[in-house]
Amino acid sequence: MKTAILIAIIVLADSAGDVLLTKGMRQVGEVSTFAPRALLAIARRAVRNHHFLASIVFMVMHFVGFLAVLSWADLSVVFPATTLVYVLGTLTAKFILQETISMHRWAGTMLVCLGVGLVSLP
Amino acid sequence: MWTERIRIIALLAVAIISQAVGNVLLSQGMKLIAEESQLTWNNWVSIFLQAVQSPSILFGVGFYVIFFVLFAAALSRADLSFVLPAISSEVVLNVAFADYFLNETVSAIRWTGVLLISIGVGLVVQSSPRTFGIAGGQDTMAEGGR
Repeated sequence: MKTAILIAIIVLADSAGDVLLTKGMRQVGEVSTFAPRALLAIARRAVRNHHFLASIVFMVMHFVGFLAVLSWADLSVVFPATTLVYVLGTLTAKFILQETISMHRWAGTMLVCLGVGLVSLP
Repeated sequence: MWTERIRIIALLAVAIISQAVGNVLLSQGMKLIAEESQLTWNNWVSIFLQAVQSPSILFGVGFYVIFFVLFAAALSRADLSFVLPAISSEVVLNVAFADYFLNETVSAIRWTGVLLISIGVGLVVQSSPRTFGIAGGQDTMAEGGR
């Protein structure tokens, strides 16, 4: 039960972090170069972006929860369970980030979820 | 746009390997600490101090930071709904690593799950990596994942 609650918190924090990070990075601009100066400029814009900063808070929350739960449960159980975030992520991508989810992508995501479910069985 | 797709997939592949390696290191580090002291919220300070002195945990965090940077870079150019399922292939690596390095038992059912995830990721990476538009920026990919 302790594990289930912590996993729920981890999944919610991770989803919130993903959406905020995506929003932030789309505002910051495309990373399409390896030129150090350009990368530095992007990094500077990123650390001033509110969505980006908020996403880090949620990612840290996710990370601390993940560390805690790993100390008593098997990685091969914990990790797949936290990947429920893929379902939540695809839904938020469609409804919040206005992405187009093709049939291929839905089918693939559903297979991933099914696979994750199987992997998570005790 | 296959070249852009391949670039994003290459970026994600490195990200996935970083996170999988990070996971193994963190898991090892935390279990070592758990063997030495009771993990309760009352002694979180001493656990934290042990954690920041543990090489496994520090390297694990390092690999997580690499993952985060690559993940953010991928999200600046590709859909979240493309990147997320693609990243789930790390489950495959995690199960394999847990089996190989951490000696956790991995059942036949879990391996079946790993197979389904692989097929699912294969389907997702065939869809167009980018369907969102950037105001005043480039076109979204013409094939639009239809």
